[in-house]
Amino acid sequence: MSGKTSIHKLGLYGLLGVAALIALFPLLWMLSGSLQSLTELLANDSFLPADPQWHNYVTAWVQGDLGVYLRNSVLYTGSAVVGILLVSSLAGYALARLDFAGKGVFTFIILAVMIIPAPAMFLAQYKLLISLNLTNNPVGYVLILITSGIPMSTLIMRSFFVGQPAALEEAATLDGAGPLRVFWSVILPLARPGLAAVAVIQGLGAWNEYLMALVLFDDNSLMPVQRGLTAFSSAETPQQQILLAATTISIVPVVIFYLMAQRHIVKGIGAGAIK
Amino acid sequence: MTTRQLVLPARRPSRTPRGKRALRRNLIGWSFLAPAIALIGVFTITPFGQAILLSFQSWDGVSPDTPWVGFDNYAFVASDPIFWASMRNVVFFGVVGFIVGNGVALGMALAVNSVTRGKTFFRTVFYLPGVLSVVVVGLLFSFILAPGSGVLNRLLGLVGLDGQNWLGDPAVALPVVAAVFVWFHWGFGFLLFLAGLQDVPKELYEAAELDGANRWERFRYITWPQLAPVTSIVSLLTLLAALQIFGTVQVLTNGGPGNHTMVPTLAIYNEAFVNWRYGSAAAMSVIFGGALVLLSVLQLAITRRRSRV
Repeated sequence: MSGKTSIHKLGLYGLLGVAALIALFPLLWMLSGSLQSLTELLANDSFLPADPQWHNYVTAWVQGDLGVYLRNSVLYTGSAVVGILLVSSLAGYALARLDFAGKGVFTFIILAVMIIPAPAMFLAQYKLLISLNLTNNPVGYVLILITSGIPMSTLIMRSFFVGQPAALEEAATLDGAGPLRVFWSVILPLARPGLAAVAVIQGLGAWNEYLMALVLFDDNSLMPVQRGLTAFSSAETPQQQILLAATTISIVPVVIFYLMAQRHIVKGIGAGAIK
Repeated sequence: MTTRQLVLPARRPSRTPRGKRALRRNLIGWSFLAPAIALIGVFTITPFGQAILLSFQSWDGVSPDTPWVGFDNYAFVASDPIFWASMRNVVFFGVVGFIVGNGVALGMALAVNSVTRGKTFFRTVFYLPGVLSVVVVGLLFSFILAPGSGVLNRLLGLVGLDGQNWLGDPAVALPVVAAVFVWFHWGFGFLLFLAGLQDVPKELYEAAELDGANRWERFRYITWPQLAPVTSIVSLLTLLAALQIFGTVQVLTNGGPGNHTMVPTLAIYNEAFVNWRYGSAAAMSVIFGGALVLLSVLQLAITRRRSRV
């Protein structure tokens, strides 16, 4: 019995090990390739850099304008997350705790809007932003990012507010606080886990957004990092190892963020998708 | 004390003594929703209507004139072999993502859930590819899969297998891009399946074990039914992600060789921003977007009926 169990366990760990290797290998290779010289990389006969070329990173940073792109991405992602948190926590609170006519209509609109896919809209969004004079403009891009994050985030926030006790709300109201004051000083601080989950999921999404960035920006100084990477790779045809260094630099912020915040991801997608 | 109102807005008497309080309550409620409504109205619903309108017009992307052309754009798209090739390819992506992607996700979630050590490690590693951007994945794999210097061919060489021109050979390019999609995306389903597995009550397994159920029976009669809601939502989300694939393909193959890996979103993008035919691009997006909406509605209807039974 125990012999059979341990063989089963061994097989299980073997399987998981292989899967982990498949998940990690491309990333490890990217790291290794980014430290090789072009000759070494093209010869393709070593998995580890014989003589790590750290200056590849300097070249990538300078040639690829990564400082500008990363700063833009931080700015756009940060504003989008703050906007999404504000708008969707207000709406989620109303859906969860306030009693008013037409609530069902709004819920229906949110669900309907969630179903509309990006390919059906991005052209018309582009046309709209042209007519608002908001192409090549951070404001237009951030507004699109915020809007696309609202439906799912509202549902996540709603599911967090539903579980909150009503007693505090009632006490604050009896003390004479208006609805906005109750929301801001009493409800929102208690919803921190929900806000964190929304921030993490929407932050990852906004950071990696590509289609709208591709359509909206042709001014390099305004591009977020994904768009900047394609501009770098296609326009200036840099050498492979430099491009690998650039992609490695570009994933550092998001990987660190993921490693720090990963427990919120499960909570958030669980709450948004299933409840 | 206020009583709970379940009356529809149209039938609500608005000027009764109680109506004033109700009006105030409605105003408060809707003012909390106002920012969301404004943004969704301007940047989602308006463009959605515009997309449909644009598909009946001709537009060069610059001029303010958009003359009405009726169904010309649709006729043009109907006879466009690139668009229909892209639709066939994306069905392939959908099927592979759905079967292989979800299969791997569920299998790995079951495996991780049943080990005692290293759970956090495997969970972290398996979702890691999912936080990368489409551009990074596209660039990275275009190097890994390169015919001459690509590391995949070298790995195959080490075990005595022949290399391939993975992205240049029409016969293998489509499955290879689908495999890259699975590598990139299965972590999402894995996370949800794992969360779902941890919610299955332990007592069910204990009772089944007392009754002598073997491993397969415990999966078939406990795990699978308990996971049903997670399975349907993961299926829908994976399917929609596979069908909307864009950036990975654009960076990896740009639809080639020929149009063997062309996908609808890329075809729409090219029609508008490479061929400057926004009207027919809009017609494509209406056809393709409409198909996606139908699919979502169908899936939701099936799920709802199943959960009601």
